[in-house]
Amino acid sequence: MKIQILAFLPELLKHLFRKTATVDYPFQKLVAPEGFRGTPVLYPEKCIVCKACVRDCPAEAIEIVPVSETEKKFKMTIHNDRCVHCAQCVDSCPTDAMGMNKEFELAAFDRHNLKIDYVYVKSTPVPRTPIATNTPKTEN
Amino acid sequence: MEEFTVPIGPQHPALKEPISLRMTFDGEVVKHVDVRLGYNHRGMEKMAEERSYIQNLYLTERICGICSHSHTTCFAQGVEKLMEIEPPKRGLYIRTLVAEIERVHSHLLWLGVAGHEAGFDTFFMYTWRDREIVMDILESISGNRVHYAINTFGGVRRDISETQKQTILDSLSLLKQRTDYYANIGTTEPTFVARIKGVGKLSKELALSLCAVGPTVRASGIKSDVRKDDPYAVYNELPFEVCTADTGDVLGRVVVRVNELFECYKMIEFMLKNLPAGDIAVKAPRRVKENEVVSRYEAPRGENLHYIKSNGTDKPERLKVRAPTLANYPATVEMLKGCFIADIPLIFAAIDPCICCAERMVELVNDKNGEANIVSFSDLKKLASEQYKKCGNKPEPVSIAKQLEKIRRKS
Ligand code: SF4
Ligand code: SF4
Repeated sequence: MKIQILAFLPELLKHLFRKTATVDYPFQKLVAPEGFRGTPVLYPEKCIVCKACVRDCPAEAIEIVPVSETEKKFKMTIHNDRCVHCAQCVDSCPTDAMGMNKEFELAAFDRHNLKIDYVYVKSTPVPRTPIATNTPKTEN
Repeated sequence: MEEFTVPIGPQHPALKEPISLRMTFDGEVVKHVDVRLGYNHRGMEKMAEERSYIQNLYLTERICGICSHSHTTCFAQGVEKLMEIEPPKRGLYIRTLVAEIERVHSHLLWLGVAGHEAGFDTFFMYTWRDREIVMDILESISGNRVHYAINTFGGVRRDISETQKQTILDSLSLLKQRTDYYANIGTTEPTFVARIKGVGKLSKELALSLCAVGPTVRASGIKSDVRKDDPYAVYNELPFEVCTADTGDVLGRVVVRVNELFECYKMIEFMLKNLPAGDIAVKAPRRVKENEVVSRYEAPRGENLHYIKSNGTDKPERLKVRAPTLANYPATVEMLKGCFIADIPLIFAAIDPCICCAERMVELVNDKNGEANIVSFSDLKKLASEQYKKCGNKPEPVSIAKQLEKIRRKS
């Protein structure tokens, strides 16, 4: 093993003329890549309330409660404060009703502000009645 | 001169993670070291018993933030054996690819930390900057920088496209060039070499008898690597050598890790060029029939071990995790003996410790004299029933109805 004196010097000098390696966040932001796992979102028009997402979510971050039994109305709450952004809900959903967006700036002063509620009418994979009462409705 | 004992940690500015060390010094020289575990215990094994296998996959990922893929792969491999399913070749290749990219990021991170602990912060800045290239690769493959969540039972969750392949190959040439430079600096920069040479000596015999793992044991000249000794996934098809050094000091550990980086690049290139076509995953059942399994995995820090016992339901009966850091503690104690106080962080950093990965045991501390001892499960049970008896209750479980009746009768 040969020991070089000043082995580091050329590299140091080279770095004097390089542009900085970091970005000037928050004024400048990096773009999240394709397929980035940001925040989970629900597409309520597709949800059949099978609760596969609730069952498989490792962080118990998804909650579905019935709002009105007669209208088949349900409320899904995604607890973004608990979510670990694993996208298992997306994998588990049989109707592609769950997705992930690219949102990653999730800081909040109160963790309850991170909750997202969706109130919607359950969609049926094959509608039994021809009357279209199950038009999707989203309320955020 | 009189010997004195100094407690270091659990919260200490020199430590990145909480661990409690009691050290006895004679002047500047360490005489005796006592490692006390348990401060950072997170109860993950117990948690795993209450979650389904698929949920546990993400739980095990969170045992460690740096070798997150190691823990899920180790767990998934074991569960796949219990489920009696075999992931398709392409799935295994992608799994191994992520594993090797993770090793690159972990070793680059460690190199930086070693530089930092030796007082060579420029080195730390450079390696961490270049590590970002690896993090970007991982993010583009899996959708996240740290918790890749690429594994699932029966394969992987995401495929790799041709464009991704090309991007990785392009970044790889840059990484190789940089690693070449680090190899040169790490072994020839006189101040750095002088700082790490001969520090934290661990002889071959001691490393073997204390069951050290990973780069720590390989730096003492022992060819021990699960990837070669007990090949899992596709390691029997990959071209690589087990890197060793014979100096047994921190310098040796730097050499082993830098050489391993080159082996990783070789493997990544091979895997990308020979990625078999086909499916990436097979369907896995939810319930697992009664059985037990031990799964081994060579994490960047050393051998990782998961024991999983299934009971026919969709939840494991028991999960036991032995992280590489725990296996390296006895060797670290030996390395620290006889060193100077100033060498402690460096020697400790050289095993690449991950404290929170390693902490999982029962330790009872006597609140009167501070004595701590490790208790077996049966002893704990006995202790619990004794305690119960003292309180006037019966040790056998009492039904809620009976208890209620008791309360009612009293009032
Ligand atoms: S991304 Fe993961 S943690 Fe978050 S809601 Fe979906 S399953 Fe739960
Ligand atoms: S989001 Fe998907 S998995 Fe969840 S309840 Fe709706 S349909 Fe089922």
